[in-house]
Amino acid sequence: MSDLLSLLSLGSNAIQAQNSGLAIATNNVANVNTRGYSRQRVDLNALMGAPLVGGVVAGSPERLQDNLLAGRLRTAGGSLSMSTAFHEAVLDIETRVASAGPTVHEQLGELASRFTELTATPTDPFSRESTLLSARGLTQGIRRRAAELNAAQEEANARIRARAEQISELAARLGETNLAIQRSGDPTAHDERDRIAGQLTDLTGGTARIDGDGQMRFVLDGGAVLVDGNHAAALRSTTDATTGDQRLEVVAGAITRDVTANITSGSLGADLQVRDVVIAKARTDLDQLAFDISTSYNTAHRANAGLDGVSGRDMFTQPTQVAGAAKAMAVDPALDADPSLLATAPAGGAVGDNAGAKALLAVSSAQVASGGRTLGGAALDMVSSIGVAASEAKHDVDRDMVLTENLSSLRDSLAGVDIQEELSNLARFEHATSAMTRFVSTVDNLLGDLIAKL
Amino acid sequence: MRVTGNRMIDLATGATAAGQTRVASAAQEVTTGLRVTRPSDDPNAYVSAERAKLHKTLVEGSTRAVQTSHEHLAQVDGALATIGESLSQIRSLAIQGNSATYNASDRAQMAEQVRTLFTASLGAANIRSAEGEYLLAGSASLTEPFSTTGAYSGNASTRDVATSADTSVRATVSGSELTAASGGVDVLPLMSRVATALATNDTAALSTTLDELAKAVEQVGLARTRVGGSMKVLESTVTAHAELTESLTKTISNEIEVDSLAAASNLAKTSQALEVSRTVTSHLIALLKPS
Repeated sequence: MSDLLSLLSLGSNAIQAQNSGLAIATNNVANVNTRGYSRQRVDLNALMGAPLVGGVVAGSPERLQDNLLAGRLRTAGGSLSMSTAFHEAVLDIETRVASAGPTVHEQLGELASRFTELTATPTDPFSRESTLLSARGLTQGIRRRAAELNAAQEEANARIRARAEQISELAARLGETNLAIQRSGDPTAHDERDRIAGQLTDLTGGTARIDGDGQMRFVLDGGAVLVDGNHAAALRSTTDATTGDQRLEVVAGAITRDVTANITSGSLGADLQVRDVVIAKARTDLDQLAFDISTSYNTAHRANAGLDGVSGRDMFTQPTQVAGAAKAMAVDPALDADPSLLATAPAGGAVGDNAGAKALLAVSSAQVASGGRTLGGAALDMVSSIGVAASEAKHDVDRDMVLTENLSSLRDSLAGVDIQEELSNLARFEHATSAMTRFVSTVDNLLGDLIAKL
Repeated sequence: MRVTGNRMIDLATGATAAGQTRVASAAQEVTTGLRVTRPSDDPNAYVSAERAKLHKTLVEGSTRAVQTSHEHLAQVDGALATIGESLSQIRSLAIQGNSATYNASDRAQMAEQVRTLFTASLGAANIRSAEGEYLLAGSASLTEPFSTTGAYSGNASTRDVATSADTSVRATVSGSELTAASGGVDVLPLMSRVATALATNDTAALSTTLDELAKAVEQVGLARTRVGGSMKVLESTVTAHAELTESLTKTISNEIEVDSLAAASNLAKTSQALEVSRTVTSHLIALLKPS
C-alpha cells in the first residue's frame, strides 16, 4: 500500500511538472509580440529511485538568452541609433542650407551675371538697381542660412537636454531592476533590464555588462559609470555660459564629471556630433564666406567710383571679424539707398567707363576665398561637404541596419518565440498531463479496491 | 539555424517596406525627371551640375551684355549710315554749287539743304541708347557729345564688354572717329562750313571743302567698317555662347536628370518586385496562422 501511495505522489508531481510546461509555453505564446522578450523553457528533472519512487520535477524556468550576443546587439543598436539620428539631423541641415530658395553659390553667380551686364550698360539706372537687388538677395540668403543654422543648433541643444533627462530616468529604472533581480531572479525582470540597457545604449552608445554577482553595470564611453548595481547616477545637462550650448555631466552623489566630449555614439552622440562638428563647421564656413565676400567686393568697390565720381565707398557693411559675419551681412546703407553710388567707373575716370564694373566682375573669378578658392567655389564646397556628410551617414545607416538585422536574426534564433513550436509544446504537455491524470486515476482505483478488501 | 514565424514575417514585411521605398523613389524619378535633387543624392554629380549651372548663369549674363552692345552698335551703324548719306548728298551739292552754271540764289537754296542734312547728321551723331547713354560720346556717355556747331566734347575711349569674368571684346566706337583727332577731318563742322560757303556764295571756300568731303565720306565708311567688324565679333560671341550654353545644359542634364526610358523601366521593375513581396508576405501570414 505504501508503494501505491508513492506512485500517487509520483503522479501528482508529474502533473505539476507538466502543468509548469503548459504554463511556460502559454506564457511564451502570450509574449510572442513583446519586444525584447526571451522565450523560456521548463527545466524538467528526473527524480532518483525509479521505478517505485522517482518521477519528474520542474525546476526554475530557463530563460534562453546569450549575454554576449545581447551585448553585441545592444552595441549594434547604439551604432544604428547614432547613424540614424546623425543622418536625419544632417539631412535637416542640408535642407536648411541647400534647399528652400536659391543657394548662396547661385546667388553669387547671379550677382556676377549682373556685373557682366553692367559692363555693357554701366550708367543704366535699371541695370544698377538690378545689380543691387542681386546683392541684397545674396545678403538676405546668407543671413537666412545663418539663422537656419542657429535654429538647428538650438534644436540640437533641446534634443540633448531632453535625452539627458530620458537617460537619467532610464538609469534610475535600471538600478531598480538590478535590485529586483537581486531579490527575486524573475526572468521577466531580466528581460526588462535588457530592454532598459538597450534603450540606454541606443541613447548613449555606452556599454552594459553583467558582472559575476549578476548585477548589470552601465558605463558611458570614456569610463564614467552611469549605473552600478542598484546605484544610478544622473546625467545632467547644463548651459555653457560662453557658448550657450548644453554640456553633459554625470552626477553621482557629490561627484560631478563632464562627459560632453566622451559621448560619441548613440542618438545623444549623434546630436553632439551634429552640433559640435557639422553645424559648427557650416557656421564657420558661412561666416568665413560672408567675410570673404564683403572684404573682396569692398576692396574692388573702394578702388572705383560711383556716378558722382567719388571712390572709397564699401559695397557691403565691412565686418570687423569672421565670427558673426554671416548674421550681420548687409549691403552698405548708403549704396542701398542710392544705386548711382555703385562703383562701376574707375576713380578719376568718366562715368561711362566700365572699368569698375569689370573689377567687380573679376572678383567672382578671383581666388579670394579662404583656401585659395573662388567665392562661388567656397559656397559650393560648403553645401557639398554637408551633402557628402549626409551621403556617408546614409551608408552608415545601411551598414548598421544590415548588422543589426543579422544580429537580430541570431538573437531570434535563440530567444525568439515560435508559435508553431509553442503549440507543439502545449500539445506535448497536455498529452503528458492527460496520461498522468489517467495514471493517478488508475492508482486511485487500485487503492480504493485495496481499501475495500481490508 | 532556427527561424521563428515572427522572424519570417518581420523579414517579409521589412522587404515589403524596402520595396515600397524603392517604388516611391523610382516614381519620384519618373515624375520629376531628376535623379539628383539634393547634394546627398550624389555629391559628385551635384557639384558637377552646380558648377555647370554657375557657368551657365555667367554665360547667360554675358550673352545679354553682348546682345545689348550689339543693339547699341546697330544703332551707331544706323547713325553713321545717316551721316554717310548726308555727307554724300552734301558732297554732290558742293560739287554742283562749285559749278559756274549756278547763281547765288541757287547756292542759297543748296545751303538750306545742307543745313537740313547737317541737322539730321548732328541728331544722328548725338544718338542715345534705350538706357539713355550717348553712344558716340566715348566714356563721357551721359553728356551730349556734339554741340550745335558740330564740335566734339566727348572722348576717344571705347568700351569692352565682358564675355566672361576674365575676357572681353570691344563693343563701342567713339565719336572721335568723326573728328580730325582720328587722323581724318571734323565731319560735322565740315558740313557747317559747306553750308556757310554756299550761303555766302563763296565758291573759293566751297572748292576747298571738296577734297575734305571726299575724305570725310571715306572716314565715315571706315568707321562703319569698324562698327561692322565689332558687330561680327559680338555675333560670333553670341553664337559661341549659345553653343556653350547648350553644352552646359547637356552636362547638367547628364549629371542630374534621369533617362526617362530607364526610369520608367525601373519603376515597372520595382513595382513588380513590391507586388511579389506583398504576395509572399500575405501567403506567409496565412501559412503561419495557427489552425
